Amino acid sequence: MESAISSILFYVFAAAAVLCAFGVVAFRNPVSSAMNMALCFGFTAAVYFGMGAQFLGIVQLIVYAGAILVLFLFIIMMLDIKAEEHARKSFPLACIAVIIAGIFAGFVTKVAISLPGATVGECPAIVLCESIGELAPGTIAQKAETEGFAPYGSAMPELSPAAAAKALGADEATAAAATAFPDTKLLGQSLFTKYNIPFVILSFALLAGTVGAVALGRKLRKD
Amino acid sequence: MTPLAHYLIFSGILFSIGLAGVIIRKNIIVVFMCLEMMLSAANISLVAFSRAQGVNGIPMYDAQVLALFIVAIAAAEVAIGLALIVAMFRARKSVESSALNTLKD
Amino acid sequence: MIQNLPWLFLLLPLVVAAIDWLCFSKCPRTAAGLSTLSAIATFALCVAYLNGWQTGTPDIYTWLPTATEGMTSLSMGLVTDALAMRMMLVVTGIGALVHIFSLGYMKGDSSNLSRYFAGLSIFMFSMSTIVLADNLAMTFIGWEMVGFSSYLLIGHWFHKDSAADAAKKAFITNRVGDFGFLIGILLTLAVFGTITFAEMGGKAAGIAPALLTATVICLFCGAVGKSAQFPLHVWLPDAMEGPTPVSALIHAATMVAAGVYMLVRLQVSMGTEAFTETACITIASVGAITAVLAALMAMQQDDIKRVLAYSTLSQLGYMVMAVGLLAGEAAMFHLYTHAWFKALLFLGAGAIIVCCHHEQDIWKMGGLAKLMPLTVLCFLMGTFALIAIPGFSGFFSKEAILHAALETCPVFFWIGAGVAALTTFYMTRLCLVAFCGQARDHGAAEAKEAGPTMLLPLLALGVMAIISGYGFIADFLVPYTGFEAHGFELGLPFYVSMGSLALGIIAALLVYGCGKRTTDPLAGNCLSTALRKRLYIDTIYDKGLIGGIQEYGAQIIEFADAALIRGVIVQGFAWLTAKFGMLLSWIQNGSLRGYALVAGIGIVIFVFILAFTIPTL
Repeated sequence: MESAISSILFYVFAAAAVLCAFGVVAFRNPVSSAMNMALCFGFTAAVYFGMGAQFLGIVQLIVYAGAILVLFLFIIMMLDIKAEEHARKSFPLACIAVIIAGIFAGFVTKVAISLPGATVGECPAIVLCESIGELAPGTIAQKAETEGFAPYGSAMPELSPAAAAKALGADEATAAAATAFPDTKLLGQSLFTKYNIPFVILSFALLAGTVGAVALGRKLRKD
Repeated sequence: MTPLAHYLIFSGILFSIGLAGVIIRKNIIVVFMCLEMMLSAANISLVAFSRAQGVNGIPMYDAQVLALFIVAIAAAEVAIGLALIVAMFRARKSVESSALNTLKD
Repeated sequence: MIQNLPWLFLLLPLVVAAIDWLCFSKCPRTAAGLSTLSAIATFALCVAYLNGWQTGTPDIYTWLPTATEGMTSLSMGLVTDALAMRMMLVVTGIGALVHIFSLGYMKGDSSNLSRYFAGLSIFMFSMSTIVLADNLAMTFIGWEMVGFSSYLLIGHWFHKDSAADAAKKAFITNRVGDFGFLIGILLTLAVFGTITFAEMGGKAAGIAPALLTATVICLFCGAVGKSAQFPLHVWLPDAMEGPTPVSALIHAATMVAAGVYMLVRLQVSMGTEAFTETACITIASVGAITAVLAALMAMQQDDIKRVLAYSTLSQLGYMVMAVGLLAGEAAMFHLYTHAWFKALLFLGAGAIIVCCHHEQDIWKMGGLAKLMPLTVLCFLMGTFALIAIPGFSGFFSKEAILHAALETCPVFFWIGAGVAALTTFYMTRLCLVAFCGQARDHGAAEAKEAGPTMLLPLLALGVMAIISGYGFIADFLVPYTGFEAHGFELGLPFYVSMGSLALGIIAALLVYGCGKRTTDPLAGNCLSTALRKRLYIDTIYDKGLIGGIQEYGAQIIEFADAALIRGVIVQGFAWLTAKFGMLLSWIQNGSLRGYALVAGIGIVIFVFILAFTIPTL
């Protein structure tokens, strides 16, 4: 029941996000586009929550829908940008763009539904990996059997709070008693242990971005 | 529960819309928004894979870390991109991409 | 050290030419004196050398050494045999006299005298190089150098268009022959394995006759150009545009004889067996044709120098014919006597021209015998030698050639006899018209005897013209090793040449009388016009060859230039690049959305390749 509800919610939110994305492209007024994008990010965040990635969902809301979107709106307001003129001559371009986007979506769909176990046939990516020797043939299927994770085609595996608590170092009893899934803890553990150095380097990238933005935003001197 | 394929299709559609938007829209701010949307779409598939690749009920957090990094980079990118747009607006009094054709002449 | 004295023959004039040109271009008298002194000094050295002051074999200098085995290295050496040294005597002797004569002849000339004398010295140097060269490469250097100095001297009065044109004509016509000569030298190197004269002997026996024929005929091409044989004879009459002493030295006595000298030198060193029958007939025929044609053309020339020029051509034809008849001895004998009397004739003509205020047309002269008797007497000595009156030098040498012709091939004998008659006719005509009767123009009327610098060489040459043919002198001076003058003997050649002599004189006397006529009675008909116009050979060259080359060749080159090079290569590539650039610039349209579109297409293609094609490989 619970899984069915979450499934339904996913479809609802996904559809809403896609609609809003359409809105971003379709509305001529950039403020409307921005609002649509905020909604789109919100729905995406909801999808994240549905997948149990609470931390990323929150980040999506705060960073994207909050900070970035506000920045966009701020710039739009500051520059006082009017709605786009309707340009008739760009219609062919739009058609081509839609076709390209359609083809791309088709490709993704094709790849997604041909994941192992999803329908007949095999995932091209896995076949590629196997063919170049990254994976021994049949590794994925074998792994799915021995380690107990579902093939891609089937529903996603359930989250296990007990296993997570155990992975975080709790004893058997506490782990067995755990009910909530410690997503943020696990992510933080990964981030600050395995990916600590990239994380630090990323902070430099952010710093550079900040400096760059300040430098660019400065008024040009007249001399 | 929903299969992985549906998440991926959702991500792909979102990405395609973003791509179409980048091509179609003239307003460079909206183009930029569409770019952000494409990044976000990529994040969705990363999270979906992280969940599907999970072992014993624990998702693969490597993918989520990568998604987090993407968010951070996107934030920096937006900061710089918007600064560029402001600079461009100062120079050209316009945010239309058709105004950026000085190289042509 | 002392054995290298013969090198001085080469170096002295060269150094003097350089000094004249570089240091004394502003003081012509010094230059002239220096040049004349060097010529006299060379002559004196030459005489001393021949009179027993022989210093041994001169050193041979390696010019282009060869690194690899089996290749011939080019050396620079001198031959000092009788052929070369006596030829040197002729060259330096006439050269010295011409230098002296030039002092008088060029006195009133306003042109640059230093240039003139430097040119003469360069000529002496290059002619000596030809004569003394011990290999064909060195000969060729001298060959080109005489061509160059001839160009300089013909074009001495270069401000006259005709002189400049004549210089060009001489140079370019010689190029044609020299090209063949160069090929001949390379063939010689290939066939004989050497180009040194001393090493060629006896090698001809084992060589295919066709190869030998080709080699000899190619080498003969050089002689055709330099000795002005048909069909390359056209430059010599025009070369008379140069100062008369130059004509005497270069275009009568020495340079034009270089071809004959070279052929005889080859005959001596290769051996007569190298001259195959085909080659000999070719050479003799060319010589005979030249002799006949030139004699015919000389009959209707009015310019005193041109008559002499055609007579030179004709006599050169004689010599070449003699070479072709394998009578190198006779050829060199005639070359030697001809050098003296033809130089005399030219210098005499020069003296007459100067005294008649630069009048060259014989129909405007007349009566000169009374006005300048000494000059005319000298001129007559030369004429008698040329028309082979018994007792004069030309008689002996011509007799030698006719003898050889009669022995080898009677056809050429009769041709020679005919040419002798023609020669007598036109020379008698010249003398009758120019010297007898009354002066027909004020230039001739005011003529008086030439000055001493001109008369002295004339007298010297006049003496030589008489006596040089006699055995007691010729045996020592004729440039041929082991030469022995044949005694005078009665026989068919003598009777025939006497007959042709008488025929020529009587015919000329009948036609021209004793100088009473003022115009040429033979002129006016189509034959004489044709002769006057040099049998239209020059015209054919001008219109057909040069005109054709310039018209059609220019059109072809123009087409190649305009259509191919400019149109296709230059402009075509420029056009292509421009169009390609336009295409690329259309892509670079600055439209951000266009770029995004292309990027989108790229992403789609990339994903397609990555996800759908690679696994199926």
